[in-house]
Amino acid sequence: MKTAPMLSSAFLHPAGQTLPEPLLALRRERAGRLVDMPLPTRKTENWKYSSRHLKLADDMAISLPVGGKTGHSLAVPGYKVVFVNGVMIPEASEFPDFDGLSIRSFNDLPEEDAGKLADRLGSTLDPKQVQFAHLNGARFEDGLLIQLKPGAVLDQPLFVIHETVGDASGSAYPRVFVDAGANSQMTLVEEYISDGDAPVLVDTVTEFNLADGANLTSIRLNMEGENVQHIGATGVVQQRNSRFESHCVGFGGPLRRHDLQVRLEGEGAETKLNGVVVTQGKQHYDNHTSIDHVAAHCNSEETYRNIAADESHAVFNGRIHIHQDAQQSNADMNNKNLLLSSKAEIDTKPELEIYADDVKCAHGATIGQLDRIALFYLVSRGIGRRQANVLLTMAFINELVEQIPVEAVRETAQTRLNEFFEQTFIEEN
Amino acid sequence: MLSIKNLHASVEGEEILKGINLEIKAGEVHAIMGPNGSGKSTLSQVLAGNETFEVTEGEVTLNGENLLEQETEERAREGVFLAFQYPVEIPGVSNLQFLRTAVNAKRKHRGEEELNAAEFMKLAKDVSRQVDLDPSFLKRGVNEGFSGGEKKRNEILQALLLEPKLAILDETDSGLDIDALKVVSDGVNALRSEDRAILMVTHYQRLLNHIVPDYVHVLAGGRIIKSGGRELALELEEKGYGWLGVKDDDASN
Ligand SMILES: Nc1ncnc2c1ncn2[C@@H]1O[C@H](COP(=O)(O)OP(=O)(O)OP(=O)(O)O)[C@@H](O)[C@H]1O
Ligand SMILES: [Mg+2]
Repeated sequence: MKTAPMLSSAFLHPAGQTLPEPLLALRRERAGRLVDMPLPTRKTENWKYSSRHLKLADDMAISLPVGGKTGHSLAVPGYKVVFVNGVMIPEASEFPDFDGLSIRSFNDLPEEDAGKLADRLGSTLDPKQVQFAHLNGARFEDGLLIQLKPGAVLDQPLFVIHETVGDASGSAYPRVFVDAGANSQMTLVEEYISDGDAPVLVDTVTEFNLADGANLTSIRLNMEGENVQHIGATGVVQQRNSRFESHCVGFGGPLRRHDLQVRLEGEGAETKLNGVVVTQGKQHYDNHTSIDHVAAHCNSEETYRNIAADESHAVFNGRIHIHQDAQQSNADMNNKNLLLSSKAEIDTKPELEIYADDVKCAHGATIGQLDRIALFYLVSRGIGRRQANVLLTMAFINELVEQIPVEAVRETAQTRLNEFFEQTFIEEN
Repeated sequence: MLSIKNLHASVEGEEILKGINLEIKAGEVHAIMGPNGSGKSTLSQVLAGNETFEVTEGEVTLNGENLLEQETEERAREGVFLAFQYPVEIPGVSNLQFLRTAVNAKRKHRGEEELNAAEFMKLAKDVSRQVDLDPSFLKRGVNEGFSGGEKKRNEILQALLLEPKLAILDETDSGLDIDALKVVSDGVNALRSEDRAILMVTHYQRLLNHIVPDYVHVLAGGRIIKSGGRELALELEEKGYGWLGVKDDDASN
């Protein structure tokens, strides 16, 4: 019998030793657990469509060097923290001077705080579903700890730019941990970009803890280049009456994987997850979301749209788990997909597990193509075929893009999506 | 202006247009009447370039140019406009963005400066008032949730903005209340000019009280079986199509 491929032991050696001791200890412990970790294969249920896109050569095990030039990013005034290859670059950052908000690099934490953090890192994620979050745990070199005091309302969005500079092969392990105190509010924009063209792995983990009444908006833009395999996990735990809103916009690559896991632990919590994914060429994008209604009286609303062109492949797997005590849960999941070519492929799968009896749970998924009659209507007005295709394709996701609450991000997303589709429809006149 | 000679077109192997001949000169308004299913919309769509229909024979020229060789968007930029019998709803594309893209495509084709958002907004508001459509309709999705009458007014709005050489109006009068009929016919009359030709498909002679045609044609079974002046419309209203030898089942399907 053929043995399952294992994670190469080359991946188990972090480079930097600058972290405070409790975090180093955590890293060692995680690495210990990864010895003989089987890599996902076609037979691994949550990786069945994506395992063949995973290409972890040994030279990618090396940690990408710290620092390096920081390239283009959202030109935004205001609060900004820049990470390059998973390590914070204070010179490139603009830290908010805002009462009630504390932002610290993991490397700057006093031993005691590092110890507290070490106890909680990874706690928002389901360990069985996020194999690569463990690898991040074994390899992170730095991270960002964001703590918002109870009642604090951040006056501007905080941008966290994760840039990967891949001049040579290697990997980076960005990590963010957010604690939003009771009734606090903030918007966090995470932007993943890259520079260079050597094959690299970016393995990310972001965690959000929302205390009672906290209100947190997360925007995640995935705009890395063709050299980047991106595997990311986001974990969210929500207490009573808290509200979480997520907007993910993802552009395809050789491998893009995002696991988004939300646990509604306190009554009256609300979550809204929006996602847009576009792929072209031979790109691959895989979104796995999971919402756990643990407490009663919670609402979740999820809307994801995939657009796949050429020979690309998009995957959406949406799990909703309503626990036994989660009476009066309201869950609504919707996934619409647009195929722009007969060779593109989209796989969509809802997974509902409902153990409470008094719940409302709706789900729907569709896969369609551009409407030929609408296309004819547009070109009959003199609009070029390419532009008409772009208009109709954008129309499929406009509703979601328009909901992105930060103007600069919304405009960037719109522009990038437009460019992407203009590229897609290049052969049309 | 427009010259149609022995035009045959079919869909899914079935011939719908069976030899249409029609000459329309600049400045003229022609009305086409005829029973349901006789091919009026098919003729309109073929002229606009809908590839669902296959042209199997015949020729069509606009000002001497072979229309059938041109792509739909080229025809539009050269001045062909079709007001659809069933205007298409396109949620997610705002009416304003749609109209501006169309107007600018045309301007670019003519070598004119494109209009920026503010310039276009002013123009679009003026014209929407002209067709009695509240400017708030510009912000909605293209025809999205518009009533039947609002859709027709939106078609006339487009015709006025695009200033075509040849305007084909496929039942733009259907489903309109009396006031809307007045608005739409005023719009069409505003389009009338020396250098423009108008082809109107209609079932109702009442429209022709507002827009007086130069010629009326009867299309039945894929052919023009009779042509005349505006009095032909009155005669049709009175007698139906039976006296022209149109079979009953042809007239009612
Ligand atoms: N896409 C299509 N596929 C199959 N048949 C079609 C298609 N389009 C039109 N036809 C057929 O062609 C014939 C002519 O249709 P057309 O729409 O041109 O009629 P019309 O004269 O405009 O009728 P009405 O007065 O009802 O609008 C009809 O029998 C119709 O069913
Ligand atoms: Mg018709």
